Amino acid sequence: MSLPLHYVNVLTGLKGCRVIEDPQALGKIIKKSERPLLVFGPRCPDIFLNGRYAIEYGVDIVKAIGAATCATACTKKKLMEYGILPDSTYDIIEIINHLKDPDWKGVKKQGNHDLVMFLGVRTDLGNQGLSTLKHYAPHLKTVTLCPYVYPHATFSLANLKADKWKEYLEGLIQSLKS
Amino acid sequence: MSKGKAKSEEINETIRSEDNWEPVGPTPMPEMSDLRRWDLRLLKTYKPFYSPFCDLCCFCTYGKCDLTGDNKGACGINISGQQGRWALMFALMGCSAHGAHGRHLIDYLIDKYGEDYKIDLGGQVAVEAPHMRTVMGLKPETLGDLRKGIEYVERGIIHGVSATHMGQEGSNIDFESKSLHIGMLDHVAMEVADIAQTIGFKFPTSVAETPLAGLGWGSVDKSKPVVTCVGHNAAVATVMIDHFMKMGTYDQVEVTGICCTAIDNTRYSDKTKIIGPLSKQLFFLRTGIADLIITDEQCVRCDIPDLARATGSALIATSDKISYGLDDVTHKEIDEIVRLITQEGKQVLIRDVDKAGEVAAKVLPIVAKGRKKEITTKEKAQELAKECKACGLCDRVCPNLLNISAATSDVRDGKFEKMADLFAKCIGCGKCEQECPKSIPIITTMQAAASWDTFNIRVGRGPIHDVEIRKVGMPIVLGTIPGIIAIVGCSNYPEEIEEIAEIAEEFAKRKYIVVLSGCAAMAAGMKKDAEGKTIYEKFKPDFDAGGVLNVGSCVANSHITGAAMKVANIFAKLPLRANYEVIADYILNRVGAVGLAWGAYSQKAFSIGTGCNRMGIPVVLGPHSAKYRRLYLSRKEEDDWTVMDGRKKELINTEEPSPEHLSIVVESKERAIITMAKLCIRKNDTAQGRQLKLNHYISLYKQHMGTLPDDLQNFVRNDKDIPIVYKKEVAEYLKSVGWKPKPLLTLPTLIGTYESNIPIDAVVR
Ligand code: SF4
Ligand code: SF4
Ligand code: SF4
Repeated sequence: MSLPLHYVNVLTGLKGCRVIEDPQALGKIIKKSERPLLVFGPRCPDIFLNGRYAIEYGVDIVKAIGAATCATACTKKKLMEYGILPDSTYDIIEIINHLKDPDWKGVKKQGNHDLVMFLGVRTDLGNQGLSTLKHYAPHLKTVTLCPYVYPHATFSLANLKADKWKEYLEGLIQSLKS
Repeated sequence: MSKGKAKSEEINETIRSEDNWEPVGPTPMPEMSDLRRWDLRLLKTYKPFYSPFCDLCCFCTYGKCDLTGDNKGACGINISGQQGRWALMFALMGCSAHGAHGRHLIDYLIDKYGEDYKIDLGGQVAVEAPHMRTVMGLKPETLGDLRKGIEYVERGIIHGVSATHMGQEGSNIDFESKSLHIGMLDHVAMEVADIAQTIGFKFPTSVAETPLAGLGWGSVDKSKPVVTCVGHNAAVATVMIDHFMKMGTYDQVEVTGICCTAIDNTRYSDKTKIIGPLSKQLFFLRTGIADLIITDEQCVRCDIPDLARATGSALIATSDKISYGLDDVTHKEIDEIVRLITQEGKQVLIRDVDKAGEVAAKVLPIVAKGRKKEITTKEKAQELAKECKACGLCDRVCPNLLNISAATSDVRDGKFEKMADLFAKCIGCGKCEQECPKSIPIITTMQAAASWDTFNIRVGRGPIHDVEIRKVGMPIVLGTIPGIIAIVGCSNYPEEIEEIAEIAEEFAKRKYIVVLSGCAAMAAGMKKDAEGKTIYEKFKPDFDAGGVLNVGSCVANSHITGAAMKVANIFAKLPLRANYEVIADYILNRVGAVGLAWGAYSQKAFSIGTGCNRMGIPVVLGPHSAKYRRLYLSRKEEDDWTVMDGRKKELINTEEPSPEHLSIVVESKERAIITMAKLCIRKNDTAQGRQLKLNHYISLYKQHMGTLPDDLQNFVRNDKDIPIVYKKEVAEYLKSVGWKPKPLLTLPTLIGTYESNIPIDAVVR
């Protein structure tokens, strides 16, 4: 079992995430999705990765695959500074509440999403939200893009140091663009 | 089981139904399912949202059972049922804590003054107990009547606990209805407890401008003998203070406290000092400044005997709810107990309030003699941290996800800025140093980085005055006072403690009524402006637009919800008596009150919030509260927002999601502020009131999000609702999203939208 970085998120159950070590492999999974959504949390504008902020990698991912976007907390303002007007501004719990419903129309009103990526949410809150989706949204796959093991996600990154995370995100974006 | 004749007679006798202060309403002393239909109506719009913390159930020996997804346990329960069961258990724990606290106070005070001791809350408070009146149908007159309130709560708790047993309730919706019921009882219990202590200990009442009391660990004069009371029950401290006064030594000692006992101590004597909320308990007790620690009940660390031993503080435990395995010396003579503590260094349990208070007053000067109380210096802290290898193991266990390794390794290098920031966010759990392979006492090093400033807090004033309600009732219901913001609960804050003061100030400046209690009231006082003033010095202490008031400790939360009930009663003239459904419906649709429990961690906070929800008050929670596992959420675009127009008796689809949620977690302070402003919107707002509420919602949203709210169309009913300053851009926006005017209402109510015995006319006055 891969332990989460923050022990408060330790799995108490049997069904846990698959840690995807290879960014190319994660890229393949994401590319299979028909209606992907990227949820931007409030931490991503503040995480600085040697020259770029985490939010910029998120923006690259959105642009590479044309993903729909949701800006939680007050991330909308920052996202607009990077040239993206988010498709929705539900807060983290609200977007998860919508995603539970297989018949929901999605943030672009084109049908519910089949794969949801999360970037920059507090790990404890994020893991709780992922628990909801694990139990109540079997119709979708969840992917966490932060450098922590998220036990309740479908696919998670490993616990990575900043430089490895940066490398991973760059590899992922490259794979999504190819 | 419906009520039989004998049961009805018993109720009539308990509430003295023949007293004709108001006619007895439809639900006197409701049992577990008597208000179930109201709950189900609420839950239809505000559906339970679950985020399981554990996928397993280990309640009985059939298990462990994996409940992931569609799996059922061996008893047949599913994951939603199990989460509902947790919700009920949390509500029960919280309600029991307040109930048992109330029971202790009442038994003690009845013993002292007799059960006929009169309730008198002063000339400004005639509606003395809105919860007891509304829920039970009893207008309490004496301590004996308050005991009836606690007996009623106790009965409900037994019933509730029984439902959590394996092989009982299985439906999550019914678990929720039960937890809503228990939440409602919790407000009765809190009201009983606070009225009892207010009359028994002569706390301030019927006065708004209570004095300011010293706040913060820096406010303590450590050159004097220091006693620190930890917990939520001030009974022992009141007796101890009386003894100090009798002995003429009160000005030679420092009576301090942590958590709600501290708040209530200041209500007894404003010379006492509040050290801070629970999050600073470990930090302060570790300093050894307390010569004597007195513990009572609730939110008291389980390792205080160890902490006291390590620092040389004496310890007296005073509650049988927290006995710590100590020798029970209640039966011994006072002089013998004093000898055991002062000469043998024994930590003791004294279950008798008067004896504990007297012993404490006697031992304090003795145990304080010769004790050195030195705060860790920067040099010492650097020495303590010198072994730090920046391994990061501490970071992994921090429940607030803090970067401790960076702060500690900086201290090792003689730099304290990061540790000061860390301290401001630290919730005081002590897990980091437990994990450290180098045994660095991280909490101790915080002493060198923390500010030792002195702050202040307005002494808790108890109930809101009837005359204040008379003044603000109409503007609240019309919406021209934009809302009541109740900032309550514990100190499990996601970021700096100062966020509480910042949130409170944001709303006070905007002329909302800001009401605080408990640890939140302390936190609000822990920030000063450039002139050195705290929020309590900057804003008036009235229940009025732009007022900032502290009602008191946790149990005084009942006065905040009670104020909403009083609006229905004093302003709208709706009878309270056994009339819960009508009053809750009124509050939901017409009183723009919102709770914020930004650092809620306790089961008490959960049950208080659940009680608020049953009476139609939405609650915003900080991110840690996702670990409560249950929220009540709507989906604004998808849900049905039909209400009854009470005057026209027509069902009307308002298309307006107000209030949008009953219980929601948000991630950041700014989002919390925006969400609260939105949740103050009510269907009853006049155009003028709605303009004002939207004005605040739009301005906050623009400030933090950069645009107009993207759900604005949901809250503009017609052109008259548009705030003048934003008229043009809002009109353009509404046009762009294809907005159309919405139907207008004369009297919004849920009564009539579901099967109920309440006639629609009951809501019309
Ligand atoms: S209570 Fe039910 S789900 Fe829980 S362990 Fe027992 S059988 Fe399993
Ligand atoms: S666990 Fe101890 S040694 Fe490791 S970083 Fe934290 S304080 Fe330093
Ligand atoms: S004591 Fe403070 S810093 Fe240490 S683990 Fe707990 S919250 Fe984190």
